[in-house]
Amino acid sequence: MEFKDYYHILGVTPEVDKKELKTAYRKLARKYHPDVSNHSNAEEKFKEASEAYEVLKDPEKRAEYDALRKYGSRGDNFTPPPDWEPAGAHGGGHHSQSSEEFSEFFSNIFGDGFRNSGSRSQFNSGQNFQQRGRDVEMDMAIFLEETLAETSKPISYHLNGEDKTLRVKIPAGITDGEKIRLKNQGEAGHGNAPNGDLYLRIKLVPHPIFDVEYQNLIITVPLAPWEAALGTKIKIPTLQGKIQLTVPPNSQSGQRLRIRGRGLKSKKGQGDLYAVFNVIMPKTMPDSTTQHWKKLAEEIDFDPRAEWSTSS
Amino acid sequence: MSQQNTSPLSLTELCLATNLPSEILIEIIEEGIIEPIGNNPNEWQFSIHTITIVQKATRLHHDLDINWPGIALSISLLEELEQLRTENHMLKKRLQRFSAINDD
Repeated sequence: MEFKDYYHILGVTPEVDKKELKTAYRKLARKYHPDVSNHSNAEEKFKEASEAYEVLKDPEKRAEYDALRKYGSRGDNFTPPPDWEPAGAHGGGHHSQSSEEFSEFFSNIFGDGFRNSGSRSQFNSGQNFQQRGRDVEMDMAIFLEETLAETSKPISYHLNGEDKTLRVKIPAGITDGEKIRLKNQGEAGHGNAPNGDLYLRIKLVPHPIFDVEYQNLIITVPLAPWEAALGTKIKIPTLQGKIQLTVPPNSQSGQRLRIRGRGLKSKKGQGDLYAVFNVIMPKTMPDSTTQHWKKLAEEIDFDPRAEWSTSS
Repeated sequence: MSQQNTSPLSLTELCLATNLPSEILIEIIEEGIIEPIGNNPNEWQFSIHTITIVQKATRLHHDLDINWPGIALSISLLEELEQLRTENHMLKKRLQRFSAINDD
């Protein structure tokens, strides 16, 4: 078991007083709180800091910890002294939601009885010890095509020591980040309390061709210069099969054409598809083509940078 | 098919889903952190999304020791931040698609 240096985790010295300790913890908590932070390992960092503060803010626990720290902080492989009795081991108490994921190190030293302090279950403290099961949250990948109409999809997961498979109804027009709630499919409750709920967080799988912009879809349409100049009819893909698109003459790069009703479904109504033109040049050109361009250059009186000359 | 709920919740159901007593939920409602549909508590209805907001609010309340008015502000700022991040991500992706063809 790895020895955890709680002082180091909070970035303070062992001589730190209560006030400085709180400040150090609060700073880290704000920085790494999973609801606030964008850091990739925010949750881990936050838990580490919470665990450290949980111990150090309490004079009794801090004294115990300091004694242990003298005993074994140097070795990589830490084991508590043989006569060590976890301080909270006889305490009983219902488990909390936020501190139950504290490290092995923590529970070996302080036992499980300490774990009820300062948890979310403070709101229940007047009631008896029945505890509703924990809610579970999982990601569910959904393809854009699957959001067009109501579908049902199986999801398999491992919970309470067993493998489970559920069929989940995916309503049409579901959006990225939306959650589906499956009542009582979370962790088992304690006593007669109900199970927790299962939440499926929808992740829309990025599409190779279409980009999502709220309920609208965007497709980038590459055009040859002569197609942009003369206009053309081309086939473009949509989520519901190919359609014909008329490119008007003199189209510009970045210009958008709206194709009604070919976007995503949403609560705000049916979205549209936008075709955005991107005029691209061939990578290599035979001499004969270059001759055409030369001829154009001579014949056409066009200054694409006219705006510069008027403003300077 | 399992019990799957997309229909709105009553105040009692919200208490159950979030593991909170109604007094705290009413405090959260009074701060405008969540908004019920309906005129009086007996008719109140909450969207499923409300659960997520309440859970976030209670986490912030407990973990960072922020009072409810502070949480109301934090949550609206976090929502704005989230929206800007999403928008930024969408724009970056589109820009990438546009320049990838020309760049290489």
